[in-house]
Amino acid sequence: MSRRLRLWLLGVGGAGLAALLVAACLDVPAFGRRSHPYGERAVRASLARHTANVVSSVNFDQRAYDTLGEMSILFAAVLGCVVLLRQAGDEHRADPRPAEVALPVRRYALLVLPVALVTGLYVIAHGQLSPGGGFQGGVVAATALHLLYLGADYRALERVRPTGVFEVTDSLAACSYLVLGLAGLLAGTAFLANTLLPYGTFNTLSSGGLVPLLNAAIGMEVASAVVVLLAGFLDQAVEIEREKGS
Amino acid sequence: MADAVIVVALLLTAASATAAVATRDPARQALVLAVLGLLLGVVFTVLQAPDVGLSQLAVGSALTPLLIMLSVRKVRRRGKEGDK
Amino acid sequence: MNGWILAATVLLTAGGGAALWGVATGPLSRRVVAQNLSTTVICPSLLLLAQGYGRTSYVDLALLLALLGPVGTLVFARLLADELTGDRPAAWGLTWTAAGVGAAVVLVLCAVTGPSRAMVKLLVIGALLISGNVVASRALSGGLRGVRDG
Repeated sequence: MSRRLRLWLLGVGGAGLAALLVAACLDVPAFGRRSHPYGERAVRASLARHTANVVSSVNFDQRAYDTLGEMSILFAAVLGCVVLLRQAGDEHRADPRPAEVALPVRRYALLVLPVALVTGLYVIAHGQLSPGGGFQGGVVAATALHLLYLGADYRALERVRPTGVFEVTDSLAACSYLVLGLAGLLAGTAFLANTLLPYGTFNTLSSGGLVPLLNAAIGMEVASAVVVLLAGFLDQAVEIEREKGS
Repeated sequence: MADAVIVVALLLTAASATAAVATRDPARQALVLAVLGLLLGVVFTVLQAPDVGLSQLAVGSALTPLLIMLSVRKVRRRGKEGDK
Repeated sequence: MNGWILAATVLLTAGGGAALWGVATGPLSRRVVAQNLSTTVICPSLLLLAQGYGRTSYVDLALLLALLGPVGTLVFARLLADELTGDRPAAWGLTWTAAGVGAAVVLVLCAVTGPSRAMVKLLVIGALLISGNVVASRALSGGLRGVRDG
């Protein structure tokens, strides 16, 4: 194909896409109207499946496939960071020096750490009832762990954070999301369809069918992904040095 | 009048975003960015999107500053090593 | 618009504006103090907004901020320890004023809520907010003096 033909092809394709987008924009409902066709249907579907938090129902039930894509993005991003931030051939590890932290700060960090971990789990577990869910809770739980670095030193954090275990947990959690989706397929319905489990009593912890389980999988994935990501950054910032003379 | 809180939150967010762009030093920029994250959380709350607000607060208050400051530290250390 | 939202708007305008001005201008020591202040101003605003909208589940946002806001300030105190050794930012008057505002908001909301699990949650948020604010101030004013890794 010549250069000129390719440009023509690109031009025609671009013009077609632009025409379609403009046509779509002309048909979009006006901003700030009283009727919300999508919202009403989403709320109805969410209530039918006993999920009090409609956003969770959209994320983990009605459009759970989108969430699978978002999870894969995070997974791939963290994988890229791990590859990029690995210890290169001309780098060596220096032992992190112990830090002196004032007693109130140290005590605060050690006291808040369990509270933050529990809060993270609370946010994950209540995803189907109140604002929050796997992503938010996972980030909180992972951040909580790094209070050990802030309130003590990097050695203390390294002792409780075997990076390998978190990498495996990350992959296992991503797989478990897929397996939960495939379970629907095996049961004779669709991929990630929320028909397998009983919907439970409205506004209780065990309501929503598949939603809490998917939330838990995402929470585990996000928490371990963030820990692995920060491990790469911390290793580079604190431990890894370039060899002298290279 | 009922929208006053939305206007205030949007104005503060716009001002802090401008300040974040106008600040040149990365460490100071990270400080402005942390405040911008909290203000965005407020914007999402007043627009009745607490799920998004919660994500924003979770990521913006501690995780983003930590990532940026660790990168700044690494770059500065590398600069010092290069001077030797 | 009810009184709670009005109070949140006023607090947000005054406190948020002050924190933004402090964080965007001046020397580094002032900026970190302002960053710490932003948590102590915005967390009570979120509590007031939750009360104003009549949605108890919005309180989770304030809980998260009370937990993670001081952690963010500790990040700066830790990783800017070298730059901050010259002039130690000590703004104890400001810190205690902000803590007082937070305590007042939490106590008023507790009085409105009445004894229940929601009140316990509010008290936990208040305790986390004030202790976090004070500890972060302590860390900024020299609590991480010996930190020099890397």
